[in-house]
Amino acid sequence: MNERGFRWTAAALKLHAIARVTVRQQLAYKTDFLLRSVFLLFILYVFVQLWTAAYDGDSSRTIAGFTLKQIVWYLAFTEALTMAGPPLGPRIEEEVKSGDIAVKLTKPLSYVGYHYSSYMAEALFRFAVHLAVGSTIAWSTVGAPAFGLGWMGLLTLSLGAVTVAFLLSAVVALLAFWVEETRGMEFVMQKLQFTIGGMLLPIDLMPEWLQRVCAWLPFQAALYFPAGTAVHFQTAVWLKQLGTQAGWIAGLSAAVIWVYRRGVKKLHVNGG
Amino acid sequence: MFALRTNGLTKTFRVKRKQPGLAGSFRSLLKPAWEEKEAVRGIDLSVAHGETVAFLGPNGAGKSTTIKMLTGILHPTSGDAEVLGIVPWKDRNRLAFRIGAVFGQKSQLWYHLPPMDTFDLISRVYEMRRSDYLARRDDLIDRFELGPYLHTPVRKLSLGERMRCEIAASMLHRPQLLFLDEPTIGLDPVVKARIRDLIRERNRSEGTTVFLTSHDAGDVESLCSRAVVIHHGGVLLDEPVEKVKREVLSRKTVKLTLSESNGAARLPPIAGTRIVRAEGRRYQLSVDLKRTAIDEVLGQLIGRFGLEDVTVEDPDLEEIIKHIYGMKKETGEAG
Repeated sequence: MNERGFRWTAAALKLHAIARVTVRQQLAYKTDFLLRSVFLLFILYVFVQLWTAAYDGDSSRTIAGFTLKQIVWYLAFTEALTMAGPPLGPRIEEEVKSGDIAVKLTKPLSYVGYHYSSYMAEALFRFAVHLAVGSTIAWSTVGAPAFGLGWMGLLTLSLGAVTVAFLLSAVVALLAFWVEETRGMEFVMQKLQFTIGGMLLPIDLMPEWLQRVCAWLPFQAALYFPAGTAVHFQTAVWLKQLGTQAGWIAGLSAAVIWVYRRGVKKLHVNGG
Repeated sequence: MFALRTNGLTKTFRVKRKQPGLAGSFRSLLKPAWEEKEAVRGIDLSVAHGETVAFLGPNGAGKSTTIKMLTGILHPTSGDAEVLGIVPWKDRNRLAFRIGAVFGQKSQLWYHLPPMDTFDLISRVYEMRRSDYLARRDDLIDRFELGPYLHTPVRKLSLGERMRCEIAASMLHRPQLLFLDEPTIGLDPVVKARIRDLIRERNRSEGTTVFLTSHDAGDVESLCSRAVVIHHGGVLLDEPVEKVKREVLSRKTVKLTLSESNGAARLPPIAGTRIVRAEGRRYQLSVDLKRTAIDEVLGQLIGRFGLEDVTVEDPDLEEIIKHIYGMKKETGEAG
């Protein structure tokens, strides 16, 4: 193996080790999982009631191409993804404020890579648990899913979706190198994901002008793509969405690296 | 050959100056006022391989900022530094393989997992060969006596047990240079002594260069051969610890409580000893080691009084630094 290959292998092994230890640490948070599952149950119950009212309880009716069953399953998927995301912003902000970042920066390890690996492991682990809980609720209220290749669409696009969600959070979180408080910006970012990201309702149900705006923003790649494709699988759309996600991942990664490199030079490590 | 060398190392922070009152807060929003704070001012320093250096100073003197520049975390405002032949802030990743760092108030151990998990992770992060890691880990477990709590979640360990794990973790990859920032802070005297033994032993057996900051004069005395004192961001004193001990660390503090059987008896004057504080049966004495030995003082006390409690302590480092600062000023004025 040449030097370059060796470096990439070593980096992959490090990220794998971080992911592994993150999942192990997650297993210590049993109460947290239980509480989140109860909350998911509550949220989905409210949504099922709302959408059943909107459809007049008619399971054959479609709104913007979605049946009641598809809407409920769509919401189960977006909720499972949304609730899977770890609180990256507060973590990075706390590391910068307390000076704990010093411990990570003295290791032969990419700081952003560390957080990415940890975020992915935690998010995918939580997603699996939430998906199981959400599926149970959706199944029991609107019936069994029959999405065929949609499942493959969900899983493949979810990987990119979690990555896009990480990068969006990371751009904001890394601003902690300059400003003392990033929670406000994180709040706005989160709410944008909830609304124009398609968490509360599929983008297809929004006014046409808003759909055109959403098409140019990264938020749909973090929620709408996997959930929408899961319930409405079309190969051409799936491939296009994978391409769009890849584009956003490339663009946002460049932004994260740029912000990090500038920020780390401005770093004022607190705490002694 | 130097383990580290600095030349005019300076770090200035731009700090927002808060104006008083609510109106001042609004004014700061519209027109923020900034001031330059010089945390480190032109430090020139060189440390040889295998040396054990205490880097001392009062709070805010610039110790931690200097360590953070030497580990590549902070970029200096001006000046140069080389650590193991590497400019830290330019090649932090490459340097990280060769140095270790322990920040006494910050942990590298995963809080909810046993130390063993962090050790495994560190072996991957430092790209250690599996067989090498296992042998090294077992050796450190043995030397640091970590066996009994290796599989206990870190949150359930005492501070002393956790610090032993922290230091073992920082030595896993055989660093050539170990930065220790307050490694014994908050520990009881027995654990402090154990940690010092372990660090000293690593320095002797592996030639690890030790660069230590501490507020504990005991750390300096028992671990380091050289003391560098900084104050207001600049080097105030750079001398062998033996000389500092002779000239500055020449006092010990004895705290004692006389037993009730002594009635109203008062402590008589003891040569070389000054009573700093007396409250009822409790006394604090300052013993000048150049004039009398601790065992002589204790011998006299035990021979004449019943004692309920007695402790011998090093003087507070802040006091020592003030003393050095005073001495330097006097020398400067005299010169």
